[in-house]
Amino acid sequence: MQQRTIITIGFVVLFYGAVPAAFGSTDYVISSIVAALTIAGTAVAWALLGNLGGMVSFGHAAFFGVGAYVSALLTMNAGWPVFAAIIAGGAGASIASVAIMPALRLRGPYFALAVLAYAGIFRILATEMEGITRGAAGLLSIPRLPTILGFDLGTNIGSYYVILTIVLAAMAAYAWIRRSEIGFALLAMHETEDATRILGVPSTRLKAMMLVLSAFITGIVGAFNAHHISFLDPDYAFSGVWTVLPIVAAIFGGFRTVSGPFIGALAIYLLDQFVFKSLLPTGHQIILGAALGTMILLSPDGLVPLLGRGLGKKRHAAT
Amino acid sequence: MLRLENITVGFGGLTALANVTLEVGARELVGLVGPNGAGKTTLFNVISGLARPKAGTASFNSVNLLRKPVQARARIGIARTFQIPQPLHELTVRQNLIVAQTFGAGHRNARRIDEILDFIGLKRKAEENAADGLALSEHKALEVGKALATEPKLILLDEVLAGLETAGKRQFMQTLKRMHQEAGLAIIIIEHDIETILALCQRAVVLDFGKVIADQTPEEIFRNPAVMRSYTGATPGA
Ligand SMILES: Nc1ncnc2c1ncn2[C@@H]1O[C@H](COP(=O)(O)OP(=O)(O)OP(=O)(O)O)[C@@H](O)[C@H]1O
Ligand SMILES: [Mg+2]
Repeated sequence: MQQRTIITIGFVVLFYGAVPAAFGSTDYVISSIVAALTIAGTAVAWALLGNLGGMVSFGHAAFFGVGAYVSALLTMNAGWPVFAAIIAGGAGASIASVAIMPALRLRGPYFALAVLAYAGIFRILATEMEGITRGAAGLLSIPRLPTILGFDLGTNIGSYYVILTIVLAAMAAYAWIRRSEIGFALLAMHETEDATRILGVPSTRLKAMMLVLSAFITGIVGAFNAHHISFLDPDYAFSGVWTVLPIVAAIFGGFRTVSGPFIGALAIYLLDQFVFKSLLPTGHQIILGAALGTMILLSPDGLVPLLGRGLGKKRHAAT
Repeated sequence: MLRLENITVGFGGLTALANVTLEVGARELVGLVGPNGAGKTTLFNVISGLARPKAGTASFNSVNLLRKPVQARARIGIARTFQIPQPLHELTVRQNLIVAQTFGAGHRNARRIDEILDFIGLKRKAEENAADGLALSEHKALEVGKALATEPKLILLDEVLAGLETAGKRQFMQTLKRMHQEAGLAIIIIEHDIETILALCQRAVVLDFGKVIADQTPEEIFRNPAVMRSYTGATPGA
């Protein structure tokens, strides 16, 4: 517990203090970190559903895109303030997730496939509903993040603080659930579902709650991104990138841990931007794949458990 | 309290239970005996919701059981143990009990958890990983502990004494007796060992090939030639 508190404080000081102090004036670096954190937020949400809900989703791009469109349209057409609209974007993604709930009763690959099909539908909807979304032409000049107390959150450094706070809040919620009775019950369900239900655990309802929460977080991140880059079209908002990169990041970092997806996203995205891309300008994703493969061979549980073992920490059940 | 009527369960061509009718009152302690494959565990599965009967009715305190999903049956007071212990994975012993209490009993009471740990003799193992830190007898004790933590009115014990050595078995039997007296529970216990049934129960029900062939006092049961025939036909070591 002591050690965890120290790590948490160090983490906060590093990301709220040292990182902006070091890179705040280098727009290119800080905007890459913002992009990495956008992946990180989605990766945390994906891992929450994967680790606690036991569900592998290939559909998080749907929640990302729905959050983005809901928030953008509310600010552009209904004049909502940006932050209220971002939260509504999360809520919109949660509502969208209700449509996939019947699939929660499917297991393993069947759930994954159902979600993949489901995600495709939203891209089509966004393209076809031209009256609302302007279709393939996309949305331009989406309102940027506001200025609060004289601090312009629309700048790269301002956006950095916003997305950092979103991701850390998501991680805090995840950590809290994981250590609650609900988290215990969800973890137990992986291997011993009947034995867990026998004790009164409503397994499908708890999984549904994780789905709604995961969609909410992803929708918020998608909404943030829409206001950060100020542009959306269906191919971008529902791009498979928003599904694949978070999965790669979460697995690379360790999707069974709370910090793994965060660390994994920063590592993967920044390595890709600053190292792999210069080594191999086209097809640098291949190195990404190789890096993931190496990590899985080296430590199937990912980077964070590997580091943990390096520090000689003993693994405890669900702590 | 528990009332089963004409319960029939089939697995493909096999009839695991045929027209089983059984009534168990509050605070009763009933032994359920029969050879391997007789359908004893299947009967527990029907009561707890893991098996769906083809025909028949089941009620618990006048509530239609067959309409209730597994988890809802726990919440109205039915608990069970598994023949092969099923500790909740990835959790400590204490966390196993916390899940059972939170969802089965519907509230949190840390003192009660400590009492149960004491009662089942696992206080010192409370923070161990339940799936890989326990011996067989401790696994069986945890099965009972999880069931108790849901604060049941009826508890179904599936061979919780099997595989324990004599001293452990005697101690566990004392625990079960105390549990029955103190908590005022109804208990159905599946057990192959005749001595154990004689020592624990006032009533024993015999299943053979899915049928109830006797429902008497244990003393009468083990004088009953039909029962002894089905028993001696059982696999050795059962
Ligand atoms: N899920 C299942 N699918 C198919 N057959 C099953 C299933 N469960 C039980 N059976 C069969 O039903 C019959 C009754 O099994 P059950 O486990 O209820 O017996 P039991 O009386 O508990 O035996 P034991 O003393 O060995 O535990 C057996 O023939 C068994 O093979
Ligand atoms: Mg059995």
